[in-house]
Amino acid sequence: MKALLYKEFKLVVNPLFYCVALFSALILIPQWLYFIALLYFCFMSAPNLFTLSKTYKEVYFTATLPVLRRDVVKARLVSLVVLEVLQIVVAAVCVVLKLTVMTTPNYIFLDGNLAFLGLSFVMFGLFNIVLLPMFYQTAYKIAMPAILATVVSVAFAAAVELGVIYLPAVADLFDGMHTTAAHVITLAAGIAVFAGLNIAAYRVSAARFETVDL
Amino acid sequence: MNILEVERLCKAYPAFRLKDVSFVLEHGYIMGFIGSNGAGKTTTLKTIMKMVNKDSGTVRVFGQDFDRSELEIKQKIGFMMGETDYFPKHRLGQITDVVRCFYPAWDEAAYRAYLSRFHLDEAKRVDELSSGMRVKYSLTLALSHRAELLILDEPTSGLDPVARDDLLELFQELIEDGDKSILFSTHITSDLEKCADFITYIKNGTILESCAENELIAKYRLVKGPRRQLDTLTAGMVSYRLNAFGFQALMQTAAIPANAELMVEAPTLEDIMVYHERKGEQTHESAAV
Repeated sequence: MKALLYKEFKLVVNPLFYCVALFSALILIPQWLYFIALLYFCFMSAPNLFTLSKTYKEVYFTATLPVLRRDVVKARLVSLVVLEVLQIVVAAVCVVLKLTVMTTPNYIFLDGNLAFLGLSFVMFGLFNIVLLPMFYQTAYKIAMPAILATVVSVAFAAAVELGVIYLPAVADLFDGMHTTAAHVITLAAGIAVFAGLNIAAYRVSAARFETVDL
Repeated sequence: MNILEVERLCKAYPAFRLKDVSFVLEHGYIMGFIGSNGAGKTTTLKTIMKMVNKDSGTVRVFGQDFDRSELEIKQKIGFMMGETDYFPKHRLGQITDVVRCFYPAWDEAAYRAYLSRFHLDEAKRVDELSSGMRVKYSLTLALSHRAELLILDEPTSGLDPVARDDLLELFQELIEDGDKSILFSTHITSDLEKCADFITYIKNGTILESCAENELIAKYRLVKGPRRQLDTLTAGMVSYRLNAFGFQALMQTAAIPANAELMVEAPTLEDIMVYHERKGEQTHESAAV
């Protein structure tokens, strides 16, 4: 597994993908839709990672190595998770700045707070649960899985933002520049959902990849 | 001792089937796996390596069941699909750094020795190498992790005659010490005449022959004669060609009758393959004669 991860980060994950995490700093823009800052991962890093892997014929290279297919899926999932967490870590730094220095609230959309970070985890979890199982049905078709996974993530973010705008109960739960118990619970629950969705994504993807003829 | 045993391997696609593919490779020998394009050579090799899921059948390597001991077996196999064409923009050194991590038995001294012997520069990118050099790089990786069984899919296609000859000599050299075996597929039959000990011939997903090269050659004869003799030679004939002087046919040696009008000579592997491949067309042609 260690060797597979080394292969992912040495040969497949382009160093530019780490820079995409810096898009999370767009959260510092006042009165903006902060989810967009995180969605750059879905727009850029994830599809390009799979496209590069396909261009490099990485799946055939890996098939010649002494590895199990399920570990190949696990290594790819871990690569995605590392990049996603990096995206959220940069966002978290910006959220801390928002909560402590730039304290002006977002008058329309969801504030940059701990609940936002928790919901971001859920968004990435949804992205992975759609992308990976769909991709590993063929292990080469990436366009449709990437489009659908992005649509689902954008739909989730839009639903949250619309909820904050039009449903006071949702706004009370997630919005606000003062950290509440609900915000902390949302963050913890978001991380748990992210972990659960990734485990499910791994299981379904690994089972599907086992049946693929390369 | 058998290093590779393939038994009744089956795989069905909508338009193609591998049917009960069985053959055995003994330790310390080279086996050529021949067949025309689309005959099932690559599918068979991929099925052996579990890149393609088999419908039924068993593969045993080093006496172990492949399904049960996949990781252990793969440590001792060097598998190469054509020339190295993955990671074209990466440097050889970068790829080696990764491959090295997968093999506890990696022999760095051997790797350096093969790099120097094949004049491979680690700083070069894969797409800067010629086809022959890419094959040599793949072999370098396989040999550096002390692979005992090399499974090579079309390693010589795309190489010029000098590079091919070079490679075939290397194959012979590799098995000299008796601890390596090679199974390689090709449709260039002249390659096998230079180095193969055993031949397995596949046609339309079915193994037609699998035996020692000299046994295979001895099993068939090229028979030439006047057209009037053709009708007397139905038994044991694989297929035939008509020409201005009469006919030329591939026949099973045991079925050739004593006949002063017939000229009999040993076929090449190419003759055996070509006449077998024409077998489907023969009925139609026969009817037209």
